[in-house]
Amino acid sequence: MGSAEHGLQVGDTGMASIGALAFGPDDVLFAADSRRARVVALDVADTATTAAAGPVDLTDLDGALAAYLGCDVADVALRDLAVHPRTGSVYLSVMRGSGTAGRPVLVRVDRADGSLSDVPLDSVAHAAADLTDAPAEDDPRQDTWLGEGEAREYNGRVLRITRVPARLSAITDLAYVDGAVLVAGMSDEEFASTLRRIPFPFDGRQAASGLEIFHVSHGMWETASPIRTFVPYEGGASILASYTCTPLVHFPMADLAAGGRATGRTVAELGWGNQPLDMVAVSQDGAEHLLVSHTAYPLMKIACADIDRQEPLTEPKEPTGVPRTLEDVVGVSLMALLDDEHVLVVQADDAGVRSLRSLKTASL
Amino acid sequence: MEVGWEERRGDVVLVVRGLPAGAAARVYPADVLGDDRTAPRQPMAGRWEAAGTGAVFAPRFPFLPGTEYAVLAGDGEPAVLRRPPAPGPRQATVVAVEPALDVVPRNLLRFSVRFSHPMSEGWALRAVRLERVADGAVVPGAFLDADPELWDADRRRLTLLLDPARLKRGLAPHREAGYPLVEGDEVRLVVDEDFRDAGGRGLLGPAAATFRVGPDLRGRVRPDAWTVSAPPAGTRAPLRIRFDRPLDRSLADRCLRVADRPGAGTTAPDGRGWSFVPDRPWTPGPVPIAVDPALEDVAGNSVARVFDRDLTVASDDPLDPADAVVLTAPVAAGDSYAARHER
Repeated sequence: MGSAEHGLQVGDTGMASIGALAFGPDDVLFAADSRRARVVALDVADTATTAAAGPVDLTDLDGALAAYLGCDVADVALRDLAVHPRTGSVYLSVMRGSGTAGRPVLVRVDRADGSLSDVPLDSVAHAAADLTDAPAEDDPRQDTWLGEGEAREYNGRVLRITRVPARLSAITDLAYVDGAVLVAGMSDEEFASTLRRIPFPFDGRQAASGLEIFHVSHGMWETASPIRTFVPYEGGASILASYTCTPLVHFPMADLAAGGRATGRTVAELGWGNQPLDMVAVSQDGAEHLLVSHTAYPLMKIACADIDRQEPLTEPKEPTGVPRTLEDVVGVSLMALLDDEHVLVVQADDAGVRSLRSLKTASL
Repeated sequence: MEVGWEERRGDVVLVVRGLPAGAAARVYPADVLGDDRTAPRQPMAGRWEAAGTGAVFAPRFPFLPGTEYAVLAGDGEPAVLRRPPAPGPRQATVVAVEPALDVVPRNLLRFSVRFSHPMSEGWALRAVRLERVADGAVVPGAFLDADPELWDADRRRLTLLLDPARLKRGLAPHREAGYPLVEGDEVRLVVDEDFRDAGGRGLLGPAAATFRVGPDLRGRVRPDAWTVSAPPAGTRAPLRIRFDRPLDRSLADRCLRVADRPGAGTTAPDGRGWSFVPDRPWTPGPVPIAVDPALEDVAGNSVARVFDRDLTVASDDPLDPADAVVLTAPVAAGDSYAARHER
C-alpha cells in the first residue's frame, strides 16, 4: 500500500483508546480514539499475499484474547471488528485493562490459521484527524470567540459570532464513504446530533464537516439525537442510522455531503428495552439487505428496497414501519462482512460466552 | 521448575529456572487457563530468552497488578504466581451529583457525577443506580446504556443520560414505558463504593443524592428573561446573571463569554446563575455577553431548540442556527454600587 500517498507516517500513534473500526481505500484502517477524540488512519501492513477463503470461527473469543493479552477476561473489552478487504484477516479493537492501566490493542486474527497477533500502535504508519475542535480551558481562541464568523446585528450592535462546536467525548461509529470518513459521536455535555465528514487523506479540513441530523416522528415530533450506529448502502448513496432513541432513519448521502442540516426519514421504530447494536449490508440473490443486531431482539433483516419504499412514519398507531424479519439467530452483537458468502459476527451462547462465528449469508 | 518476577530496564519480566530439558514454556493468565492442562489456546504474547537452565519471558503487554499467571512447561503441573496488587489505599470520593437541585423536572435529561480523582470506565451501569426513596426499588431502564460511556476529558465527570427514547413524546418507547421519572416521587441516585478509580481502587465510601420529581421543563431557554446585574466601573465586582431556569452546569461554563475582557466565569453549583470576575477593573460602557445557542437546561432544551419539538406548537420553532444571542450589562460610571437590572 502506498502509505506516503495517503500522508501516513511511521511513528507512535499515541492512541489512548480504540473503538469503532472501518477499512478505507488501499487497505487503510480507520480507528476511533474516543478518549483523544480523534480518528486514526493506520497501515496495518498485512503481509498475507493471497486472500484466504472460508469461514472464521474462534470459540470463547474473550478467553482467547485474555490469554494472548495476558489478563483476566474481565480486563478485556472488545469494541469492534473489521475484515481486511484484501487478505480477509480479522481485526479486533480491544481495550486491555481499565483506568490508567487501560491500553488500546489492535488484534489481528490470521484468516489462514486463526493465530492472533497485534498491530504495534506505538510504531506504525498512520495519520490522525482530531475532532476536539472546541477550545480547551487555556485556549487563546476563547478570546476571539466574539470576533469571528458571520456578522449579525443584535440590539443595534453588529457582532461576529462563532459557535463553539460540540465537544466530542465518545465516537459511536465510523465508516468510509466516497473519499471521506463519516464519524458519529456523542458529547458528554451537549445532546448533539452531529455527523462529521472528514475528507481523506486528512488535510486539516473538518470544521465544515459538522452536520446536524434531525428526523421527524409520526409527523408531529422532531428529534435531534446522536447517532449510535450507521451503515452506508447502495454503494454509499444511502445511510441507515440508528439513534440513541432507537428509530431507524434513512438519509440520502447527497444531503449529508452538502453539510449543514439534514432531515432523515424514520423508516422503523423499535420498542422499549432494545437498542440496535450494529448493522451490515449484505447481498442476497442480487438484492441488498441490511442485517441489524440488537440488545434484546434476534438478528433482524430488512430489504433495502423496502426502506426506499417506506413512507415516513406518520401515525402513532403504526407499530413497526418497514417490513423486517427476525432471524433464528440470537446473541449477535458486532458484525462485519467476511466475504461474498459469510457474515462474521460476535455471538454469545446461553452461558454468555462469546465466539467469532461465520454465518452463511444464504441461510439468513 | 521455579518461577519468579524480576525487573529489567524498568519492565517486569517472568523468570523460569530448572526448565525441563527440551521443554518450551508458555505463560497464561491463570484465570483463563482454569483447570485445562492441555491449553490448546495461544499463550500470552511475549518474547522468551534462554538463560542458563531456565528462560526469561518479557511480555508483549505488561503483567497486570493483582493478576495470577500460570507457567506451563512439559507435562508437569503449572507453576502459578501472582503480581502484587496495586499499592495505595482508596482515596476517590463523589464530589457532587448534578443537577444540584432539590426538585428536578420529570423530563430531566441527565445526571452528572463529579469525582475527586480520575476514574475507570466500565462501571457506570454497574455501580450507579436510580432508586425510589419510598421502597428502595431500582427504577428499571432509567439510564441509556451508553457505550462508550460519557466522560469528560480528565475522567472526573460522568454523564448519565436518562433514556432519551422514553423522554421524547411520540416515540414507541415513550408510549410503551413512559417517563423514567414520575412526578411527585422522590428518587435517589446512588453511587456504590465499588466504582473504581483510574488505579483500580474503589471509592472511600458510597454516595447518594435525593431528588423530588417536579413538573416538566419545556420550551427554549430564554436569555431575554434572565436578570443581568451590572457591576460598577472601577471595581472588580462580579457581573451576575440569574437564569430563567436551572441550566446544565458544564454547558453554562462553556457557553457564556464576556467579550474583550479577560476574566473568570463561574456557574453556580445549582445551575441557576453565573458570575464573571474580570482580571482588571470594569470601565464604563455596555459589556456584551455572548450566549452560545447550544446552552441547555437540565431537560436538554437549548437556547436554539427544544429537546422534544412539537411541530404543531409555534413556540417550539428553533432559532436560526446563525442567530447570535448577546446580552448587555451596562457598566455605569461612578463609585456607588447600584446594580442595574436589564431585561
